[in-house]
Amino acid sequence: MDELTLLQNYLVVGAILFSLGLVGVLTRRNMIVMFLAVEMMLQGVSISLVAWSRFHNDWGGQILVIFTLTVAACQAAIALVLVLMLFHRSGRLDIAAWQHLREASHSAFVDQELPEAEVEEPHWPELTPAGVTPESPVEDLVHRTHV
Amino acid sequence: MTPAQTILLVATGLGALGLWLLLPRGDQWGRRLGVIPALISLGLFASRLPRLESMAAETVFWFLAGVTVISATCAITFRSPVYCAIWFAMTLLGTAGLFLFQGAQFLGVATIVVYAGAILVTFLFVLMLAQPQGHAFYDRVSWEALISASVGAVMIGILTMVIGDAFSRQEGAEGVPAKAGVVDRVAGEDGPQRPDEILSPRHMDHLGAQLFSRHLIAIEIAGTLLLAALVGAVAIAIQSKSMSRSTGGSAPWTS
Repeated sequence: MDELTLLQNYLVVGAILFSLGLVGVLTRRNMIVMFLAVEMMLQGVSISLVAWSRFHNDWGGQILVIFTLTVAACQAAIALVLVLMLFHRSGRLDIAAWQHLREASHSAFVDQELPEAEVEEPHWPELTPAGVTPESPVEDLVHRTHV
Repeated sequence: MTPAQTILLVATGLGALGLWLLLPRGDQWGRRLGVIPALISLGLFASRLPRLESMAAETVFWFLAGVTVISATCAITFRSPVYCAIWFAMTLLGTAGLFLFQGAQFLGVATIVVYAGAILVTFLFVLMLAQPQGHAFYDRVSWEALISASVGAVMIGILTMVIGDAFSRQEGAEGVPAKAGVVDRVAGEDGPQRPDEILSPRHMDHLGAQLFSRHLIAIEIAGTLLLAALVGAVAIAIQSKSMSRSTGGSAPWTS
């Protein structure tokens, strides 16, 4: 009964992979990582299909996986272009930047306010003062052309 | 509650705890600690599976399954998206190994070439384009880590239980014609003998013949779909480029 055992083991591995992908889609906020997790769910299903194909000695499962692969390639192309476009608009890969997306007649559903991006204080080099202080008009000292 | 169900329950709980600890939650506390419950839970789930007959087959299967599942966990829990992509490549290699182990040679190679070779490299390109500095604050927090980890662990537990139940019932009803798969396999004895096609050495012959005879229309449609996706992707990319030029770069809330 080795075939049956192998099928059961493969189905469990496929189920685990599918569930892990689900957790990834639900939790991660980076759009690219979310998409990776979707691909992982597809892989889980593919494993089950291949196992069934071997068990029934039928090509249907493997051929379905080939078509899944084709559709996954198309999906990757379109999704990555869309992700790039969203990135160009919002400047970040964060999916939470789009939670205000809605119909004009509806009120916005904001799940969680965006935390402010941490802007690190730039570390300027400190120069040791040397020589005599040059004399300069007060206007020049107060006015700074750039920060 | 039978001992088997108790083991599954404990494994589910430990899996949820481990996944929750491993997921990025904003602070570093206990992330490394999560490895222990996750591994114990994985071991408990594995203990519920029946053993294969041959020792070598068993070793190979557990190695491949372990690589696949552990790197999948890493792929969803690492904070840097580049590491996520690389761990996902590892998952794909494990999956390709599992395919080869089941006699799906073409699929094993195609997974490596198409997924790891093409799709994943595109992912990395987009990552480099969009986020060259690496870490971002939104990679360090996740939505509702506890609830999602529990959902995932419960789903693994339920699926494992259902699959195990179905198979143990089948094994209990030995000889009853309800065993669809085995009937399919044995049916050749009185009817025309159906050779073991999947494992035959002329794997590609059979697969290609099936693909281009029975599924010919599907192949044509898949080709059309690929062309449409290609044209669509280029069209969207051009549109977004002209738009970002006309609006002067990017939106006002860009940091």
